[in-house]
Amino acid sequence: MRISIENFTKSFGDTTVIEDMSLEIGDGEMLALLGPSGCGKSTTLFAICGIHRMNAGRLMFGDTDVTEVSSQKRNVGVVFQNYALYPHMNVYENIAFPLKVRKESKAEVDRKVQEIAGLVHIGELLQRRPMQLSGGQQQRVALARALIRKPDILLLDEPLANLDAKLRLEMRSEIRRIQLATGITAVLVTHDQVEAMSMCDRIALMDKGQIVQLSTPKDMYENPSSDFVAGFLGNPPIAFLDGTVADGEFRLANSQVTLPVPSGIEIPGEGAPMRFGVRPEFFQPGNPLKVPGKVSFVETQGREELYDVMLENGAVLRSIQSQNAGFRLGQEVSWGIEQDRVLAFGPDGNRL
Amino acid sequence: MRRAHLLGLGFLSPALAIILMLFLIPVLLTVMFSFTNMSTATGISGGAYEINAASLRKLADAGAQESFVETLGKESFVVDDAGITAAAAAYGEQFANEVGSQMLGERFSSRRDLERAFRKLKSRPRSTRDIKKAANLFKRSVLNIRFETAGGLVGAVTDNGIEMTPDQQELLTKTIYTGWTWTSDNFALMAQIPYVWRVAGNTVLYVVLTLAASVGLGLFLAITTFYLPSSSATSFRAIWFLPRILPNVIFVLMWKWLAWDTGFLSSLFANFGVPPRNWMLDTGVNAWVFIVLINGIVGASLGMILFGSAIKSIPQSMLHASEVDGASRWQQICYIILPQLRWPIMFICAYSTLSLLTSFEYILLSTDGGPGGATEVWSLMAFHTALDNYAGNLQYGLGAAMALMLVIVGILASLVYLRIFNFNDLVAKPRIEQ
Amino acid sequence: MTSSNFRSWPLYLILTVISMPLVIMYVYLFVDTVTDTTAGSLIPDRFTLHHWRFLWEEPETGRVSIWTVTLNTFIFATCTTLINVSASVTAGYALSRLNLPFKRFFLGGILTLHAFPTITLIISIFLILQMIGLYNTLIGVILVKAALELPLGIWIMKGFFDNVPWEIEMAGLQDGASRFTVWWKLVLPQVQPGVAALSVFVFLSAWSEFILPQVLAPSGSAQVLSTYLSNLIFDDMKPDFNMFKSVGVFYALPVIIIYLIFNKQLMNIYGGGTKG
Ligand SMILES: Nc1ncnc2c1ncn2[C@@H]1O[C@H](COP(=O)(O)OP(=O)(O)OP(=O)(O)O)[C@@H](O)[C@H]1O
Ligand SMILES: [Mg+2]
Repeated sequence: MRISIENFTKSFGDTTVIEDMSLEIGDGEMLALLGPSGCGKSTTLFAICGIHRMNAGRLMFGDTDVTEVSSQKRNVGVVFQNYALYPHMNVYENIAFPLKVRKESKAEVDRKVQEIAGLVHIGELLQRRPMQLSGGQQQRVALARALIRKPDILLLDEPLANLDAKLRLEMRSEIRRIQLATGITAVLVTHDQVEAMSMCDRIALMDKGQIVQLSTPKDMYENPSSDFVAGFLGNPPIAFLDGTVADGEFRLANSQVTLPVPSGIEIPGEGAPMRFGVRPEFFQPGNPLKVPGKVSFVETQGREELYDVMLENGAVLRSIQSQNAGFRLGQEVSWGIEQDRVLAFGPDGNRL
Repeated sequence: MRRAHLLGLGFLSPALAIILMLFLIPVLLTVMFSFTNMSTATGISGGAYEINAASLRKLADAGAQESFVETLGKESFVVDDAGITAAAAAYGEQFANEVGSQMLGERFSSRRDLERAFRKLKSRPRSTRDIKKAANLFKRSVLNIRFETAGGLVGAVTDNGIEMTPDQQELLTKTIYTGWTWTSDNFALMAQIPYVWRVAGNTVLYVVLTLAASVGLGLFLAITTFYLPSSSATSFRAIWFLPRILPNVIFVLMWKWLAWDTGFLSSLFANFGVPPRNWMLDTGVNAWVFIVLINGIVGASLGMILFGSAIKSIPQSMLHASEVDGASRWQQICYIILPQLRWPIMFICAYSTLSLLTSFEYILLSTDGGPGGATEVWSLMAFHTALDNYAGNLQYGLGAAMALMLVIVGILASLVYLRIFNFNDLVAKPRIEQ
Repeated sequence: MTSSNFRSWPLYLILTVISMPLVIMYVYLFVDTVTDTTAGSLIPDRFTLHHWRFLWEEPETGRVSIWTVTLNTFIFATCTTLINVSASVTAGYALSRLNLPFKRFFLGGILTLHAFPTITLIISIFLILQMIGLYNTLIGVILVKAALELPLGIWIMKGFFDNVPWEIEMAGLQDGASRFTVWWKLVLPQVQPGVAALSVFVFLSAWSEFILPQVLAPSGSAQVLSTYLSNLIFDDMKPDFNMFKSVGVFYALPVIIIYLIFNKQLMNIYGGGTKG
């Protein structure tokens, strides 16, 4: 089911949290709402499922306007961050609850519960209480409960935040598998970029109540629309160099080092401030465009090694290289930037 | 109003109905009653006007002229149409016509005068007894007749030919009304009660002593049981918690048994040659000791529990650290434990002040304000005045005025509490908006 | 906490000494009900069940049978609990969770009402009950007692509702349940400990209540155990403490049993802070 949010505004008392947001989510698509804490992801989610009223704007599911429809009638399944399982009911009763309030027959309920329990692999746990389940199992129960009445839309609010690293990895692919198997339209709220990139078809990156960029994970990584987006995606993160335009080139602040501007970019006027973003994988010893500096930090990550190189003006570039490179802390190096992969940003932070 | 509001109000409505009926209306009525002279004598529904021996005395006491009171009390004989009709029925048309034509409108202050006048008539009844009876038919009096309204009374009095000045009329209707009336005298009356200041003083003494006893004892119990192994701590706590949940009639019964002249203390001290006596009601000081002990122990139960849970929440590592630093137990109490209890102590003080100020059950059951009013406190005085006294005349109005003082104190105190206890934190916005 | 750095015996000594009067009173409360003591002596010397005769003997003329009185007390306490808990549970939820106009006002009002003790209300309630004809009936006392404990009950239940995670309710709505179903089927089960604690508390409080029945329903037919016992004590010229104590123990037994069973829940309420 297609979801379209048009000119959505939400305020609590005097503070406006979301202002005039519009977003379209395609049928069967899985979209990530990604952003730093407090940017309004949950608020958007609660508006879609109807727990919050919208102060202005319109919400459409397919061709029907549901702005004024109550939560109960929207047919949206939600998985909450702490799963919100009903502690006084066992797993079976938890999953069956949405059908029970719809007064479906016992046989029907039983059949559906068994079916969905099979889908999320919790067939043997049906008689347990939520307290007796591990985090991952609770997660699966919550998913089953959200899915059992075949909702048109599935909303997930930071579903993996409470899991340990290994389980998180496992549940990531599980959720995606189930979403693809059911073909349901899904919205995933997260502040973890890896989660968003690995699970979703598209990402809506939010900041301060606004969507700053909406595109596929790959596109967003390679073509961030602003330095905020570039900084948010990527691990280890991108490094920024601040400087100004001098003779059509980029001159590093407080330094005589200049770098050529990547091709196809409209160069701002002489002396205008400019910002270069260099991802660690594009700052390597073998590249031609050399920048001298000193290794200021080394971190071994197992298969790879991460270096910070401090330039003469104090700015830091990051590089990630394979294990056996063997540079030492304090060593003077002169590594190169891959010129065409440099991201250039204007004074307002927007991509040039 | 939004639909969501209706749901909330719906959920609140049972409580609201009960509160309205049994809190708000009673409080308003307390205010109202305190401006009336309601008592057992006036009754609680409306009254009536009736001139009788008692009310005439009241009238005289209220300063009415003697002659006025006397005329009101006297019977008079008036020849009027009603009398003539009655005479016609009893002694024939002829007599009646004669009376009517010769004497209509005449007034006699005694029956003898009227009889004398009758004797002059031709068609008068023959026997003296009949004349007496006939005269009685013309007797007019306002004595011992109930009038529902003041107008009725005044009309009847004037019909009887008694002239009243407006002042006299007002005095009459005011004094002889048997029901309750509006008045603001209660507060002046209260100030005039000879022992009222002593009662106020008693109240302060009671609150201060009991509070000190319960906080002190509560702290002591909480701290000592904290240092004991949990099994024995539990037994001591049970001993000291029981007074709080035992019905107060029983708790006081135990103390009475202890103090009675045939009770435990008397029997015990008899072994040392002390004559038996009622230790509780013997002297005022003794009565106070028992009052403070009984109330203080009940208060200490609550203090013990509250302070106990506050002490438990002190991180163990802090206590261990202080021991490693060489603190004695006394120092540990002074520097680690007591500072943590500042908030609960404040809470108990604030809370108990108000509840002690208005509680009187234990005093009522134990000394009942005695001996000789030595332990009478304000709320007990209100209770005695309005609901339970030996004289039997329950003065609801005056009692309500006394209780009103407590209502005012209560409102002021709770406004202060709302301030202290950070009310705003308690009001959360709902997160579901439908 | 016990610590090897400090000795315990001084504490034992001093606690035992100050607890002595209470312990003596408790012990004699029970012992005296089944023994006789020679006047002037402290040690009971004969076993007897004579003091318990009120349980099986016909009551003296003018007195009501203890069983009627017990039944009255039970009805009084049970009905009070039912009314109070139902109103507290709904109002507590409204104040904790629902959209409500003038919420601050209601909350503040309830806190303020809590400061209104019996004496300020009882005079006018006494008159009101007389006017509407509920004087000297159990119904009147039940309503009044339930009302007087209501501010506390609402406050306690609000506290318990505040601790239920919002997500449970949101999930319930999302699962298609109405607000009422959510409350009844999902939220109420979460506050069961609160309901239990409040019920026990109100039941005990009503069971022990003295002033209200004494003032509002003093006559024989509506008598409860507290007024029965206090009348017994006040009427007697020559006090028979052994008999009073037997009635007292009979009256206190349910309280003690309930205390032993629901110890934890009661601490929940007393520890959470209130009651005068
Ligand atoms: N009920 C409320 N009243 C007032 N402000 C609120 C309320 N709920 C949320 N906010 C504010 O709205 C903003 C967005 O909140 P929201 O919960 O949507 O953030 P989020 O993106 O989900 O953050 P997180 O990742 O921490 O969950 C925050 O600044 C928050 O303080
Ligand atoms: Mg959130």
